[in-house]
Amino acid sequence: MARNLTFSIFRYNPQDPTSTPHTDTFILDETNHMTLFIALNRIREEQDPGLQFDFCCRAGICGACAMVVNGRPGLACHTKTKDLPENITLMPLPFFTLVGDLSVDTGTWFRNMAQRVRSWVHTDKEFNPRALEERMDNALAEEIYELERCIECGCCVAACGTAIMRPDFLGAAGLNRLARFALDPRDKRTEQDHFEIVGNDQGIFGCMGLLACEDVCPKHLPLQDQLGMLRWKMGWAGIMNLLPWKRK
Amino acid sequence: MSKSLSIDTAAYIPSPSRSSAYLDWLQMLTGAALILFMWAHMILVASVIIGPGVMNAIAHFFEATYMAQVGGPLIGLVFLLHFILAARKIPFRAEQQSRIWKHSRMLAHKDTWLWLVQVITAMLILIMGAIHMWVVLTDLPITAEKSAARIQGGFWMGFYLFLLPLVELHVGVGLYRIAVKWGFVGRDKRPKMQRFEYVITAVFICIGLVALLRFYFLAL
Repeated sequence: MARNLTFSIFRYNPQDPTSTPHTDTFILDETNHMTLFIALNRIREEQDPGLQFDFCCRAGICGACAMVVNGRPGLACHTKTKDLPENITLMPLPFFTLVGDLSVDTGTWFRNMAQRVRSWVHTDKEFNPRALEERMDNALAEEIYELERCIECGCCVAACGTAIMRPDFLGAAGLNRLARFALDPRDKRTEQDHFEIVGNDQGIFGCMGLLACEDVCPKHLPLQDQLGMLRWKMGWAGIMNLLPWKRK
Repeated sequence: MSKSLSIDTAAYIPSPSRSSAYLDWLQMLTGAALILFMWAHMILVASVIIGPGVMNAIAHFFEATYMAQVGGPLIGLVFLLHFILAARKIPFRAEQQSRIWKHSRMLAHKDTWLWLVQVITAMLILIMGAIHMWVVLTDLPITAEKSAARIQGGFWMGFYLFLLPLVELHVGVGLYRIAVKWGFVGRDKRPKMQRFEYVITAVFICIGLVALLRFYFLAL
């Protein structure tokens, strides 16, 4: 079974004026249970110590090692080489700012997204550190947790045709984040408040329904369902505003 | 003087607006209406397969009730409105076009490609659909014999052989897109919906082809 894998890896250091974007080829013997994370580390150790890529947890939790594997955004640590052909092309995620080679800056975008969505519980309740934590229905807590599993890897945004054409689009990660706070009973924001954040062409009405986000999400978040639900809810929130007695 | 008051003093703070929601509703509703119209249209035209008399009787009904004379131009307006609304999403800048093209090639993702199919068929249908409507509506009444004569002329057979799959693809993909975009079809039903899209597209292309052949071989 031992195969020799050929890796074609994008190389470019934007900090270095002499660097030009190009592809380097590395050949590596495949071992049992090899992931791209293991392969990249071996390439860096054995062949090219200058190769830049991000990783941290190697278990699909930190979201740092997202890259384009044979055309599809995915996590390097989650991708087994045995599921790939002998020729493997690795590119950095598009859309985000390139740090170098396979490393991109997703943090700045996600920070900005969190600020746009105002990604925190909005409440006027005074916090009492002595009081017991408020109880929440378990089913609801699980529903919120399901959306909170997002690891901010950026795959959904990098796979999104809308975001690629229109960089101000909030993306599935941002819309999913709002959906998470919309579920949370502690967050006092109303549907009209949500509308002001995502009821526009940079938000849910910009989504063209290409569903690449749904298909590449390494955590299999229910993005299609969340986007559909948000469009339906925000669509009605817009219509409701036509009724004078419902107007805010 | 009073004019200076019309300056938007909040120029740098976009005022909250509902227009995106209304436009998105309109885009979806005009699309859904046109899907229903295209299916009804195809079924009515396909009545020629049963016999030219059946088609003539149906066409006569629509003209005697003025539905063709009034409804035809109205459909034309809905068609134009739908184009204008959906064109908000079409990339017209060369930079955007190049981005989405490279992106689609990189991703090799079916639904992303199908969106490009929607965009390209939209541009062609805008022109060819307008030509078709003009030719038919300026030459009322519609009869099977007149349609057959046009098809047998040669040029129009080619025209419709091209327009038919364009329309059915656009309608099929559009139906699927509305269903998944608005949450009518969830994650679990998506593969089923996709199959339904393929089947309905293929069925209507077949009906259309048979109707075209019937026109082509109709004795005049």
